[in-house]
Amino acid sequence: MNHQPFEDWLLNDKLINPKQKLELDGHLRICSYCSALAETGKALRGVKKVSPAAGFSARFQARLAVQRAAERRRRLWGAILFTFGGLVMLTWIAWPYLASFFASPATSITSLIEWGVFLITTLRAIAQAGSVLLDVIPGFLPPFVWMVLVSALAGISLLWSVSIWRFVRVPRGV
Amino acid sequence: MNDELAWVLQAQQGSDEPFTQLVEEHQTHVYNLCYRMLGEPEAAEDAAQETFLRAYQNLHRYDQNRSFATWLLSIGAHYCIDRLRRRKLSVFSIDEENDDGTTFEIADASSPDPEAESVKREDRDRLHILLKDLDETDRAAIIMRYWYDYSEIEIAESLKLTVSAVKSRLHRARRALAGMWQEDEHRSPRTRAERRVYESPAF
Repeated sequence: MNHQPFEDWLLNDKLINPKQKLELDGHLRICSYCSALAETGKALRGVKKVSPAAGFSARFQARLAVQRAAERRRRLWGAILFTFGGLVMLTWIAWPYLASFFASPATSITSLIEWGVFLITTLRAIAQAGSVLLDVIPGFLPPFVWMVLVSALAGISLLWSVSIWRFVRVPRGV
Repeated sequence: MNDELAWVLQAQQGSDEPFTQLVEEHQTHVYNLCYRMLGEPEAAEDAAQETFLRAYQNLHRYDQNRSFATWLLSIGAHYCIDRLRRRKLSVFSIDEENDDGTTFEIADASSPDPEAESVKREDRDRLHILLKDLDETDRAAIIMRYWYDYSEIEIAESLKLTVSAVKSRLHRARRALAGMWQEDEHRSPRTRAERRVYESPAF
């Protein structure tokens, strides 16, 4: 059955003249689909709004208070962990130098220079060793090990990206 | 400056009282959208609360050139769409509507004919059940169009769609509803023919 132009009138809520209305009424008597379209349209226009139970804003205030308390707790624990962790790291790194500095300032300056020289030579050695390994290892490792390594790196990258996305994302619609 | 914008500005500066006024003002709009989207009073209450919470947390992002109600409904609609998608993933089935007294349909005080009102109510309930079978975004578009009288442009802004996509979704949803309505009539043939309305109030 041809539903045009009746379906178009019904879907677009078009204003129709009396002659068109007679045509539409005649079509609706014989077409169950267009009749259902008209009935659902009428039901949709006749819908009523429902209201929440009384005290909605009070319940919202309570939820907001819970959320704020949780946020405060999270921030407090974050600050404590960050400060404590930072202090432990700093102490661990600085302890040998602090100890030697207090024992003898001249010795500590010498050891600081020694440490700097050691650091530079170590980095150079690591870079050299790395380049040698990169030249040699590809020949030793079978393809599946490379696949595992690359997959693991991709997994870690994905995890990292998802973590950043979850941290910075804004809810949809905002 | 209207009251609403003044409340928004005060709330943006960290004052709670104006935001409570905004909640009071828009609670029915937001709750109604969530109820029609999710189909259950408890889920609707939770979603409406979450919508206001998200609005509160993102108040600094609100564009004052936009209607606050549209912004709220946009947040609510997206939240409900995401929630329905999660439901689908967890193979959760939407049970029959459970009106346990937490939801109140605003009574039509001007109803002269109780029988006609009862038929209308039956149709509304039927429609409410059929809505659950629509695609989430189509459902949101239909609700905004018919419950809130939103234009296609407003729906497009709220749902982050193009106007032509909204039009096509509305048509698809109306066709799907009509199809389900027909099937429903075939399953339970009653004396609907007697009360079938051949015309739309729009004409």
